[in-house]
Amino acid sequence: MTTRRKFLLPFLCLLLLISVPAAAAFGSVKISLLEVGRIICSPLNLNTEAVNLVHSDIIWLLRLPRIILAACIGGGLSVCGVVMQALVRNPLADPYILGISSGASLGATLAILLGAGSVFGAYSTGMAAAAGAFAAALGVLLLANTGGRAGSVKLLLAGMAMSALCSAFVSFVVYCAHDKDGIQTVTYWLMGSLANARWQSLAVICPLFMAGSIFFTLQSRILNLMLVGDETAITLGTDLQRYRKLYLIIVAVIVGFAVYAAGIIGFVGLVIPHIFRTLIGTEHKMLIIAATLGGAVFLIWADVLCRIILPGAELPIGVLVSLIGAPCFIYLMLRRNYDFGGN
Amino acid sequence: MEILTEAVKMFAGGREILHGIDFELRDKEFVGLVGPNGSGKSTFLKCLYRVQRPTSGKVYFNGQDLDELSYRETALQLAVVAQYNVCSFDFSVLEIVLMGRSPYKNVLERDNASDIHIAKQALATVGLEHLAERRFQTLSGGEQQRVILARALTQQPECLVLDEPTNHLDIKYQLQVMDIVKRLELTVVAAIHDLNIAAMYCDRLIVLYEGAVVRMGTPAEVLTEDFIREIYGVQSTVSTCSDGQIHIRYKAGMQL
Repeated sequence: MTTRRKFLLPFLCLLLLISVPAAAAFGSVKISLLEVGRIICSPLNLNTEAVNLVHSDIIWLLRLPRIILAACIGGGLSVCGVVMQALVRNPLADPYILGISSGASLGATLAILLGAGSVFGAYSTGMAAAAGAFAAALGVLLLANTGGRAGSVKLLLAGMAMSALCSAFVSFVVYCAHDKDGIQTVTYWLMGSLANARWQSLAVICPLFMAGSIFFTLQSRILNLMLVGDETAITLGTDLQRYRKLYLIIVAVIVGFAVYAAGIIGFVGLVIPHIFRTLIGTEHKMLIIAATLGGAVFLIWADVLCRIILPGAELPIGVLVSLIGAPCFIYLMLRRNYDFGGN
Repeated sequence: MEILTEAVKMFAGGREILHGIDFELRDKEFVGLVGPNGSGKSTFLKCLYRVQRPTSGKVYFNGQDLDELSYRETALQLAVVAQYNVCSFDFSVLEIVLMGRSPYKNVLERDNASDIHIAKQALATVGLEHLAERRFQTLSGGEQQRVILARALTQQPECLVLDEPTNHLDIKYQLQVMDIVKRLELTVVAAIHDLNIAAMYCDRLIVLYEGAVVRMGTPAEVLTEDFIREIYGVQSTVSTCSDGQIHIRYKAGMQL
C-alpha cells in the first residue's frame, strides 16, 4: 500500500494531463490526435502551419470547455462525496445525500414548470436548481442543530426529512402542472448533461472547485477525526460541531454549482471515493487529492463515451455513469478485503 | 496531575443520575471506580473527559475550572481509553495512533518525524510496533484496545481515564492492558467491573452506588464480604493471600 501511495498521485496527474487533449479527439467530427495537439498549441505560435479553423472552433469552443467542465465536476463531486461520507460518518453517503439533490430537483421543477427565476433567462433552470440545493442544505443544517447538538445521525435524519419534503413538493407541482413537455424537460434535465459548458461559467467553476479540493486536503486532520466520532474527537481536543457546519456549507456551494452547470450526475460521488479508499486507505490527505484527480479523469472519459456510444445522438451522462458505476460498485462489494468500512 | 470535583450532578431522561459527586484524584494515584451496572460510573467519567457536561457542580483540573479550559487544553492533560472504539472506516494502526497528536497541532499542521517517533514509541510500549502498517479493523479485540491505549499515550497526558477498557477482553489482555498502564506511573482513574482486578492494581477504590459515592478507601478497606453483599447482592469469601493480594471468591446460587 505504501508503494501504491507513492506512485498513484503522479500517475493520476499524468493521466489527467493526457486525458484532456486525448478526449478532445473524440466526437462526431473526426479530428486526429496530432491535429488536436496542433490546435491546442496554436495560440503559442510555435509553428507556422495553418490550422483548420472549423476544427479549431470545435476544439476550443465545444470540446475543451466540455472536457474541463467534466474534469471539474468529476473531481468536485468526488471530493464532496469523500467529505459527506466523513461528515455523516456513513460509507453510503454521497454529495447529494443530505437533501441536496431533491432541493435541486425542486428548484429545477419550479423553474421549468412555473417559470421561477426567469430573470436569469437561459440560465434560470440551473440557477433555480443551485438555489434549491443550497436552500435544502441550509434547511438540513438548521433542522439538525435545533434542540441540541447535531451529530452525524441527526444530520442524516434531517437530510431524509428534507428529501421527503422536497420530493413531495416536486410531485405536487408536477401533478398540478399538467404540462407533459415540461415534465419531460425536468426528467431529462435531472439526468445531467455536460453539453452546456461555456468558458464564462468555467471561469468561476474551475477556480472554485480547485479551491474546494485544496481546502479539504488541508482539513484532512479534522476529516480523519470525523470518522472516529464526536466523543473520541473531544477526548482528542477537537469539537467537530463547527467544522461540520462549515464543511456542509462548502459542499453545498460546490454541489450547487455542479448542479447549475450539469444537472444531477449521480454515483460519481459515491463510487470514486470507495475506489480510492480500497487503493490507498482512508487517511484523507491522500484520499482527497486522489479522488479529485481520479474523479476528473473518470468523468472526462465517461462523457467521451456519452458522445460516441450512440451514433448521431448523445446518451445522458447520468445514465452512463450509473451504467459504469453500478457494476464497479458491485465488484467492490463482492471483493472480500473491502467491506466499505461497515461491520 | 490532580482532579477535583465538587457536587457534580447529572440529570438525564427526567431523573438524577449523579447526586452530587465529590471526588479527589491525587497526583500519580491509581484510583478505581467500582459499582454495579447503572451506578453512574461511566456518566461520571464522561463528565471528567467532557463528553458530557454536568448539570451542576464543578470539575477542576490542577485547580483550573474545566469550563474555562478548551477541549484542546484538556486533551493535552488527559487521555481516554473507552469501552467501545468502533470505527466504521479502515485506518492503518499508525494513522489511528497518530491521531493522538491532534491536540498538539493546529488544523493545517502536518505530522512530522518527531510525531511519528512518539507514535511508534507508544506502539512499542504496548508491544505492537510490528503492526504499525496493519489495518486497524483486521486486529483482534485485545490488539485494538492496545492500539487505542497507544493513541492515548501519544497524547503524552499526565492523566489517563480508563472507561471500562477491558470489558470485552479475555483475561490475558485484561491483565496486559492494566500492567502497561500501571507501569506508566501516570495519574489514573479507571472504571473497573472485576473487583479482583480492581484490588490488584488500584491504590484506592471509590464505590458508586445509584449515583452517589458510598465508600472510598484502599481495596482492603472497601472490599469486604458484607460490603459486596450490600452493593451487589452477592455472597462471597474475601481472603488475603500471603503476598498481601486480596482475593474474592463468589458463591454460586447464593444471590440474595
